[in-house]
Amino acid sequence: MLRRVLGLGAGRVALGVLLTVVLLAIFGPLVAPQDPLATSTDLLAAPSAHHWLGTDYLGRDVLSRLLAGSRLSVLGAVEVVAMALVVGAVPGVLSVYLGRAFEWVTLRLVDTLIALPFLVFAVAVTALLGNGIPQAMFVVGLLVSPLFYRVARAATLAVARSPYVEAAVIAGASVAWIVRKHVWGKVLPPIAVALAQTTGVGFVVVASLTFLGIGVRPPAPTWGGVLAADLGFLSYQPYAPLAPIVLIMATVWACNLLADALRDASGVAGRALVLRRPRFSGGSRVKEA
Amino acid sequence: MLRRTLAALGRSVALFVPVFLVATFVTFALRSLSGLSPAHFQLGESATPEAVGRIEHQWGLDRPFLAQYASWFHDLLTGHLGTSWFNGADISALLADGAIVSLSVAGFALVIGVVFGSGLGILAAVRRTTWVDRAITGVTTVLSVMPSFVVGILLVGVFAVGLRWFPSAGFVPADRGLGPWLAHITLPAIALSFDTIADLARQLRAGLVAAYRENYVTGAVVRGLSPRRVFFRHVLRNGIGPALAVLGLKFPNLLGGAVVTEAIFGMPGFGQFAAASAQRGDVPAVQGVLVVSIVLVVVFNLIVNVLLARVTPAAARGV
Repeated sequence: MLRRVLGLGAGRVALGVLLTVVLLAIFGPLVAPQDPLATSTDLLAAPSAHHWLGTDYLGRDVLSRLLAGSRLSVLGAVEVVAMALVVGAVPGVLSVYLGRAFEWVTLRLVDTLIALPFLVFAVAVTALLGNGIPQAMFVVGLLVSPLFYRVARAATLAVARSPYVEAAVIAGASVAWIVRKHVWGKVLPPIAVALAQTTGVGFVVVASLTFLGIGVRPPAPTWGGVLAADLGFLSYQPYAPLAPIVLIMATVWACNLLADALRDASGVAGRALVLRRPRFSGGSRVKEA
Repeated sequence: MLRRTLAALGRSVALFVPVFLVATFVTFALRSLSGLSPAHFQLGESATPEAVGRIEHQWGLDRPFLAQYASWFHDLLTGHLGTSWFNGADISALLADGAIVSLSVAGFALVIGVVFGSGLGILAAVRRTTWVDRAITGVTTVLSVMPSFVVGILLVGVFAVGLRWFPSAGFVPADRGLGPWLAHITLPAIALSFDTIADLARQLRAGLVAAYRENYVTGAVVRGLSPRRVFFRHVLRNGIGPALAVLGLKFPNLLGGAVVTEAIFGMPGFGQFAAASAQRGDVPAVQGVLVVSIVLVVVFNLIVNVLLARVTPAAARGV
């Protein structure tokens, strides 16, 4: 699958951008030209040889701050995705096999989670349960897990009804064997697409929260924080927000591009599968009966 | 028709009652999970355990968990969200002020999103596989990767600070003049709407293109119906379902996005109230925000479900 994604131009570009961001997260703080926390008298300086992206209102080097902030963004996005995957995809597959009670309960929970505005909840929970991006991302991961639940469930339902799986059931195959042998292969491609999309959401949420100053202590460098710092001085430095904006958008765009490439490479049926008319907003009840 | 609508409403209510119950229970449980207490506000960190106990007794926090939940939920149903730990103010009143701001922005964003989203989606579907379609697809891709706070900053930079066409911050209620009200909510609403425009356009295009491939549409074309009639009678009604459903799911995002846009545009809304209360540790106020947003989302989805039942023929037949 990776080879086929790399065969697509879009897939190469997307993976390239994301790999760069991940490398920045790992090594960025080491290669940062200056201390991201060190202030100087060079306030709101324009880009120069010394400060490639200029300085902020405390004279801190913007490039160094962005590099140092990338680690938090990547970790946050990974946490959202991992959380959503465990809480969403696994019950999604199991909901088809573990009986009606489990199915009913998980469907109700999914309906509930989707009704909660996740940014508002993330803000509330970070403040109440401890001020940190990990806490916030835990909640966001929980609240985006319905996507994974639905995708996994839809794919599993489709496989479970196919003739060869019915034949396997008649032949006496166990549920565990069927899931391992037939279901995983069919569930993984749409899950991969959802994974790439959710990673993009994760980056946006981390940037939004740090932009609001939630989940971080002030001098700590973050992408959103750099953006917020620039915002107060737009009339002095109108172009200052461009660097963090380009960085955030390129990352999100690469995630979406990767999602599209994965979809093309794996032949997942368009968006129809990912955004199949959800149960929450109308009756797919009959469809599933 | 009316019976069908009522049936759809009944089914949706049955679906949303458990949603509401679970969501409000989680919201209530947040206080116990947080371990925060009003005593910190009144006594500071160095309070003696006896003093803390006295304050908590006054607030009724020493009763059993379920008893607290029962009285909280009872107050909730009668419209009382309790008093703020921070300043003792009535939370319902505080929230009402903020909700006007946020609903103005979210509502206007929804209008912009629906107008431009459906316009672009329909245009792309009608002119499918032409350069118009490809251009629209490109535009929606760009729109979908622009987070609302990025759009907001760009809009402030260009239209408020640069061109000075719009005020850069604040809010004026509609009863103090429609013009100033619109001027203040336009930029934040545009910033919020991008995501809705992009998703709605994409979903509508996909739904309509799929509907155009149906046999009954080919049949209608063969029967010599005008393109306009084919579109409105057959294609639109059958292809709009997924787009409407997506719209129902977008509403929580609009409310959530308000937290960020309100910070950029300095509006005293719901989101600002949530962020400020959360940072103060004012649990009842945060719970109030969450409850109100849950109610808004549920009501909005009820409306969408009823619309779905009325508009799409498949849903009308009970399929």
